[in-house]
Amino acid sequence: MHFIPVYLIFVPVLAALFIYVFKSRHMNWLALAAQAVLTVLLVLYYREFSGQYENTLIVFGGWNDRIGISLVNDEISMSFMFLTVFSWWMVLIYTFEQGKTNHNFLFFLMFLEGVFLALLQTNDLFNMFVFIELLSILVAVLIAFKKTGDAFRAGLYYLVISKAAMMMFLLSIILVYNSFGTINILLVREAMQSTDSLTVVRLSYVLFMVAVMVKSAFVPLYSWLPRAHGVAESGISALLSGLVVKGGLYLFIRLNQMYEYANLNYADFFYWIGALTAVVGVMFALSQKDMKQILAYHTISQIGIVMMGLSKLHDPDMFIGGFLHIFNHALFKSLLFLGAGVIISAYRTKKVTDIRGVMRTMPFVSVFMIIGMLSITGAPFFNGFISKSIIKYGIVDSGIRYWILFVVNIGTATSFIKMSQIFFGPKTMTIRIRKPLKNFALMSLAFACVMLGNFYIPISEGFFGFRVQYIDIGTWANFFDYFLALTIGYVFYRFVIAPDPVPVRYIREHKMTFQQANYLFVVMIVVLLTVFVWW
Amino acid sequence: MDPMLTFLVILIGMYGLSTSKNIIKSVFSVTIIESGVILLFLNLGNWQGGSIPIINGAADLIADPLPQALMITTIVIGSTVTALALMLCIKVFHHYGTVEWREILRRGEGK
Repeated sequence: MHFIPVYLIFVPVLAALFIYVFKSRHMNWLALAAQAVLTVLLVLYYREFSGQYENTLIVFGGWNDRIGISLVNDEISMSFMFLTVFSWWMVLIYTFEQGKTNHNFLFFLMFLEGVFLALLQTNDLFNMFVFIELLSILVAVLIAFKKTGDAFRAGLYYLVISKAAMMMFLLSIILVYNSFGTINILLVREAMQSTDSLTVVRLSYVLFMVAVMVKSAFVPLYSWLPRAHGVAESGISALLSGLVVKGGLYLFIRLNQMYEYANLNYADFFYWIGALTAVVGVMFALSQKDMKQILAYHTISQIGIVMMGLSKLHDPDMFIGGFLHIFNHALFKSLLFLGAGVIISAYRTKKVTDIRGVMRTMPFVSVFMIIGMLSITGAPFFNGFISKSIIKYGIVDSGIRYWILFVVNIGTATSFIKMSQIFFGPKTMTIRIRKPLKNFALMSLAFACVMLGNFYIPISEGFFGFRVQYIDIGTWANFFDYFLALTIGYVFYRFVIAPDPVPVRYIREHKMTFQQANYLFVVMIVVLLTVFVWW
Repeated sequence: MDPMLTFLVILIGMYGLSTSKNIIKSVFSVTIIESGVILLFLNLGNWQGGSIPIINGAADLIADPLPQALMITTIVIGSTVTALALMLCIKVFHHYGTVEWREILRRGEGK
């Protein structure tokens, strides 16, 4: 019972190895079996340790915990693990047909699950580094899996940038080891209580944060994300956008917990970084015409919103909002990417302007896509509404911060009004393929969106240990805000975005070069140094 | 070796990363950063006149074994990443016929 975390890591990895060795057509059943075992183990583990997470620490091989490898769990990693297993279920069901023939794909997919679960549970900075590097390698391979020039280019771009960021992470580990003599996260956290906030500690914080900013695609270090998520296969895009990007945010939470006693005033800085990310992401999304690019840029903007919430790590309202938004975004963004995959493969084009009449051609998929769109724009009774309202509750009194969130909501509404044009129009002849499994995956995700939108109080209390009853979400003001954003969004779409004026075209064609991306990386290090070390 | 010199190596790598126009050179720059980081870590774990961290009776001044254990892992991962990156470089070259970042990123779909 105590060693379940180890099984959680090795069950998917072993399944992946079996799939790779015995390339049989029935191997995707093995993946599903491994998935079922994982689910059972996770539920057992949750029942055993729920509410008493201080007993979950495992130190391997009987070493002293200053130098040994250890795993530990808490509410946050536990809920992330449930989300991981759920997302993998959906993607495995969605790519079931593909898994019959393409074993390498299934191998990388299952391996990625094991590595991600390991990243969530580790209590060791160096192991964290190792798992993120493994994650980068696997993600780069999965991005390049389509074997087109675009895909190879995006994979290489991602690999080089993330490697540079991870070197900063390693440098920071060196500084931490040199200052505290251990790299165990819990012990470092305690050791920080007794020291004053030294320059070395601040320097290590800066280097950690710059790595986190690259991995979770904050402005200005986001340039790899639209390339990578726009060209990968839909199942992979769903996984990357829904979950793997959240690995960076998970690191943000973990590392800021570690630096809790170092007295760093990071809240305002990261709030503004989040706001900037949200605005810039929405701005680029508005100009795009490629369906997957729109969704990829919306991932950036939604991460910005999450960051606006998470930046207040010690203010329960905002933090709960940001944390819930991670889950909600994972659900609706997976739903949208998977649905977009079905539509794109039927119409054989990614252009939003060319696809018409989806409602008549594919009624089921359209309904699920509409649920996803309502969730992402924050419609009442869908899950996006809950988390956005909780974030709004935390900043409702502080003028400009509130209005930034409102502007982002208008942008999101406009962008999805643009995308919803694909539903209208006459029925078109497309290739008719019956896809019950794909529909099942979409249906489960849509169901989860609606469930979380209506029964968020028991769910958030059971899984995350947050009590959110005191925040009154279903107020008329919140409903009115949504419909106001929708109206302004429609007007904005009709008169500004739809005619496609020159500025919109200019933003669409703007692409960052690789040198600029790296230059911005160096600039960002200097900015963070200015904010946290010299100032 | 002075730890400051290893910082210089890291800075050379950063400079290469933000100026080189060739994808192979970018991969090399990242490897240079990695070498700098590894040298720094090994440097900090070592003592002047210390021996290797294998205790056979009467060793009183030995190097810290943990950085060495960590760095061997880093070297292994680094070589894997470099191999994968170079493989992707070859594939990109096959599709675009060039290894210039500017050319590759400007074009749309490859061949």
